[in-house]
Amino acid sequence: MSDVLSNQHLTEEERMTHFMKKIENDEKVEADDWMPDEYRNALIKLISMHGISEIMGALPEKEWVPKAPTLRRKLGIMAKVQDEMGHGQLLLRVAEDLMKPYGKTREHIMRDLFSGDLKFHNVFHMEAPTWGDAGLIGWLVDGAAIITQTNMLHASYGPYARALKRICAEEVFHAQHGEAIIMALAEGTPDQRALVQDAVDRWWESLLMFFGPGDAKTTGSSKQDITIKYNIRTKTNEQLRQDFFTKYVPRMLSLGLTLPDETMYFDEEQDLWIYKQPDWDRFKEIIRNKGPKSKDRLRLRELSYDNNAWVREALSPSDQVS
Amino acid sequence: MSDKGQNFYQEFEVFSKRTDGAQMQHQFSLLAPNHELAMVMAQENFMRREPVSDIWVVKRSDVRMMSPEERESVGRLDNKDYRNAKGYGYLKKKWRQYEQEMLDEKEIMSWGELVKKK
Amino acid sequence: MGRVGEEEMKVNSPNDIPSADYKEALLSLLYQLADDDFILAYRGSEWLGLAPHIEEDVAFSSINQDTMGHATMFYQLLEELGEGDQDHLAHGRKASERRNAILLEEVNGPGHYLQEPRYDWAFAVVRHYFYSVSKKVRIDSLKNSSYEPLAEMAIKINTELYYHLLHWKTWFIQLMNAGGEARERMNKAIERVLDEFQGVLTLGPNGKEMSIMALIEGEENLSKRWEVALQPVFQSTQLSFPPKVSMKKGNGRLGEHTPELDTALSTLSEVYNTNPAASW
Repeated sequence: MSDVLSNQHLTEEERMTHFMKKIENDEKVEADDWMPDEYRNALIKLISMHGISEIMGALPEKEWVPKAPTLRRKLGIMAKVQDEMGHGQLLLRVAEDLMKPYGKTREHIMRDLFSGDLKFHNVFHMEAPTWGDAGLIGWLVDGAAIITQTNMLHASYGPYARALKRICAEEVFHAQHGEAIIMALAEGTPDQRALVQDAVDRWWESLLMFFGPGDAKTTGSSKQDITIKYNIRTKTNEQLRQDFFTKYVPRMLSLGLTLPDETMYFDEEQDLWIYKQPDWDRFKEIIRNKGPKSKDRLRLRELSYDNNAWVREALSPSDQVS
Repeated sequence: MSDKGQNFYQEFEVFSKRTDGAQMQHQFSLLAPNHELAMVMAQENFMRREPVSDIWVVKRSDVRMMSPEERESVGRLDNKDYRNAKGYGYLKKKWRQYEQEMLDEKEIMSWGELVKKK
Repeated sequence: MGRVGEEEMKVNSPNDIPSADYKEALLSLLYQLADDDFILAYRGSEWLGLAPHIEEDVAFSSINQDTMGHATMFYQLLEELGEGDQDHLAHGRKASERRNAILLEEVNGPGHYLQEPRYDWAFAVVRHYFYSVSKKVRIDSLKNSSYEPLAEMAIKINTELYYHLLHWKTWFIQLMNAGGEARERMNKAIERVLDEFQGVLTLGPNGKEMSIMALIEGEENLSKRWEVALQPVFQSTQLSFPPKVSMKKGNGRLGEHTPELDTALSTLSEVYNTNPAASW
């Protein structure tokens, strides 16, 4: 292929300039394009965490599929959980293609997950003990996820942007499904209303932590600067958290719920929500798989993965032509 | 980590068309051990809330893709208006002189519109 | 009303039910259809997140949704016939009132879906495959049912069965032909499933009435068709044909069930029972 232009002769610096120009021009980077290691690694970390979170996120919801109190709710949760695993699948494929140059595959991702090297979102380490939790997860946890995801719809990395487009479209139904459950409870018996308030009280801190710390001071590091520099996202963690408050606090209050943070208010002058910080040390613990359900849920995944090894071995085409 | 089962994860690209008249389009990729399972997986992984009239699965290793360099070299000179309607816009004025309308793209494509059978 | 002759009898709605006998046979049939799909979809949903790979998790969960959707449709027909609210029919009935086949209520494997599940994929494949084939045979027959609402429903359900069959048949053949450990596990699973499959094929004590009333064809015909449908696959995987079926644990159509159903029911009705009258 000697007559094809090649940028193999360019220096690292020239390639970097060329690359940043692409980013600034809002052009998409594809899986086999040259990219700086910093970009590739930031994406791998972000996207595999996102993908695995979707898959691990299916587990607390799954608890409620058998127990959902009506046929319609059962079907709704089944559809939602299926979507989540579908999203996880799309995202893992994007991450897998990025990891290929490092010789890593899905097997490696699974093993990293079980060993604790691959982290997933704090919220999915938490318990979901009541039907109120099932509703709350669909309403506010998915709400938080939509806010972070829509912020990346124009990500410079093409495969991720395309996957997010599909994902965000489906998240709309998730949010509405969650709202439907919560609405029925909020408009129901005193016991049902108590279920919602109770769930909100227990999930509040986790929701705040979902967006990540505002800056590197609290947890010692922050990837947000890199992802913003490379046009993977446009807003900071704090901006996204503020967006979440703006969208959801009025709705929560309108249903007659009280905010677990009594100190919280909106400062008109600063155009900011003022609130009590969650315990960021606890956050670090949780994502290190020391959350209340971390071990159990990882165990489920690991056990089933090993349990089904015989299936993968049986169908692995070694010498066969498929 | 065991060596067996490594080849279970083969990459397949999935294509589909929404309706009979639509183009076959690339959707996404998935992992499966062979074509038959890939087809089964494709139907449910992507098609669950979309209408679909046809699906193809292709092993990624069978696709001859462009390299990044080839993609960058893919542009052509913008001097070819002899082969598109843009190059013939001057005809509109000419036909007006003969009191006729221009048969442009919009007009010609409208000739293909279905007439409902009585 | 006497026997149905050569002319087609059509009952267009619950208001047109010709006799108490017809209604009894119809209800008996509908409960089986609904309960079979409901409990199997329940067992399927316990597999969420635990399938051999992620793509399969997504595919399997689609099938379970479809099946739960079918159960919902059957419960709806029952509701229209005055049997009560569909959510009550699904969540509120005791085990002895259920008419599903025992095979379908069996656990997926040792363990609990939230703790140490050691589910058996071979058992899942065989159970689902054989059941899908039997369901297809029934649905094809139901397309000509004298009860019009059921016939219409069968036409709709049929469109989704194509995919289910393709999915399970593909897994079945590939695991069988893989030889080695896969083949051994599959053979064991086939034995287990056949031991109880008669319970799926049987139409129960009202079977004769059902076919006289042209609600569905006779049990013998349906069973034969099930066998014939499986023949090519059995041949290509060198399985002995015809398969020998029995129902060793009892007859679900008579309300005979196992403790496994009790456990399943107590889980699935947990929230519902806190307030059956509430709106969820």
